[in-house]
Amino acid sequence: MIETYELTKQYPKTLAVDCLSLTVAAGEIFGLLGPNGAGKTTTIRMLTTLTKPTSGFARISGFDVVQQPLKVKELISVCPQEINVDRELTAYENLLVFGKLYDLKNLKDRIAAALEFGDLAHRAQDRVQTFSGGMQRRLLIARAFLSSPRVLFLDEPTVGLDPQVRRQVWDMIRRLKTEGVTVMLTTHYIEEAEALCDRVGILSHGRLIALDTPGALNEQVGGFVVESLDRGRKKYLLVKNKEEAYALAQSEPEGVIIRETNLEDVFIKLTGERLAS
Amino acid sequence: MRWYPVFLREVLIFQKRLFRLGYVVSIIFTPLLYLLAFGLGLGRQVSVAGSSYLDFLLPGLIAVSSMINAYTWISTNLTVSRLHFRTLQIYLQAPVSPAAIVVGQVLAGVLWGLLASVLLLGLGLLFGGAVRVNPVFFLALVLNCVTFAAFGVVVGMKSRSHEDNATFSNFFILPMAFFCGTFFPLETIPPALRYVVLVLPLTHTNILLRRPDFSLETLISLGVLVFYALLFLWGGVRIIRNYSE
Repeated sequence: MIETYELTKQYPKTLAVDCLSLTVAAGEIFGLLGPNGAGKTTTIRMLTTLTKPTSGFARISGFDVVQQPLKVKELISVCPQEINVDRELTAYENLLVFGKLYDLKNLKDRIAAALEFGDLAHRAQDRVQTFSGGMQRRLLIARAFLSSPRVLFLDEPTVGLDPQVRRQVWDMIRRLKTEGVTVMLTTHYIEEAEALCDRVGILSHGRLIALDTPGALNEQVGGFVVESLDRGRKKYLLVKNKEEAYALAQSEPEGVIIRETNLEDVFIKLTGERLAS
Repeated sequence: MRWYPVFLREVLIFQKRLFRLGYVVSIIFTPLLYLLAFGLGLGRQVSVAGSSYLDFLLPGLIAVSSMINAYTWISTNLTVSRLHFRTLQIYLQAPVSPAAIVVGQVLAGVLWGLLASVLLLGLGLLFGGAVRVNPVFFLALVLNCVTFAAFGVVVGMKSRSHEDNATFSNFFILPMAFFCGTFFPLETIPPALRYVVLVLPLTHTNILLRRPDFSLETLISLGVLVFYALLFLWGGVRIIRNYSE
């Protein structure tokens, strides 16, 4: 459904995305994980026709994003990182304009359902500038779902949402999967990537440094972590199983934590940096 | 072509601002000042080409007012929505063609330009001015709005900041308002400058609004306006098609 080959974006002073090649199957939830500046948003912008690649190519359902942008845009919907809703308009008007851009049938019903999903039905006729940040983001997500896209791009979709709403969004994304929708999301929340994604691509400085299921990625680095303090600094030791972890913990002074590995450990192991940098 | 949602959004925003105190006044404030100061003040003692200065000035101010409103609304809104609120990106990522985006925006610009023109025309007539309104007058006014709204699209898409926008206004829009025959007849301008002024679109709008006849001169002026309108429309579509962040 999504295919990129050596996709590259070179800005005058930065190489934002460097030879990205990947394939995302129809109905898959694919996560791009990486710290700020890793190239996640630029990748989404190239795939959604907003940014023209310097070299390489990308296709959505076989349509080239540069050569056939309108065909691509008929299939996709985007929830950008920045809340780009019209603040002067009401929630209803925002969805109305968006629905008309996609020439949606039964628009009134769809808008009502989207407002319900975003828990905004009671504020439908209020101007968005009176909404809290969380409400605006809920409207943004509801808008992205409105057009029933075949491919949905979500750029850091749950930033600023409280845990309850975040889980609602996760449920909605999972429901889309059962309807065969392909989802590409970027996140720097480990738990989001692990909870949602069938596969995860890890980006660092524009390069794809790992790509697999969250489980396989965790196994690659060991399976367990022994966290301890070394002269006031946290030290992470990756081991294959619990027994090794216990043995190692014996040799460490106080304050040792044993836990299963997560994608943050994978990232640290591969790059030497932390995700939340 | 799916231009309607683009136009609808502009209309919805305009509706909200219209009811904000003073917004309607701000639309025609500057031309109204000129009308009061020059038209009513100076106009009672001075005559131009055999008629009162107020009658000479009024069509010119209508041309300027339609230009400023069509241009400013579109160029400012596009710059702000592209760089600050990033709402323009909704269009760019939706299945609408660059031509549809330009048409929707330009039609909105035409609407504001015409609204400002009608308001000023009404006030001018109220103050005792006389204007010949016929189909040629109306066609020229619409073409003027299309030209400058489309120029607004070009500027709005190319500006890198608000300052860029102001620069375009200061170097292109403002000089046109003063030198294209709005305040004094073209015949009084030095010949060398007259040739420069004759190349500019607002000059021809002024010619058409003052003498909306069916003549060769009218056809030439309409032709110049059509040329500029098509040039800026084409430029706007091209810029949006090649847009990349």
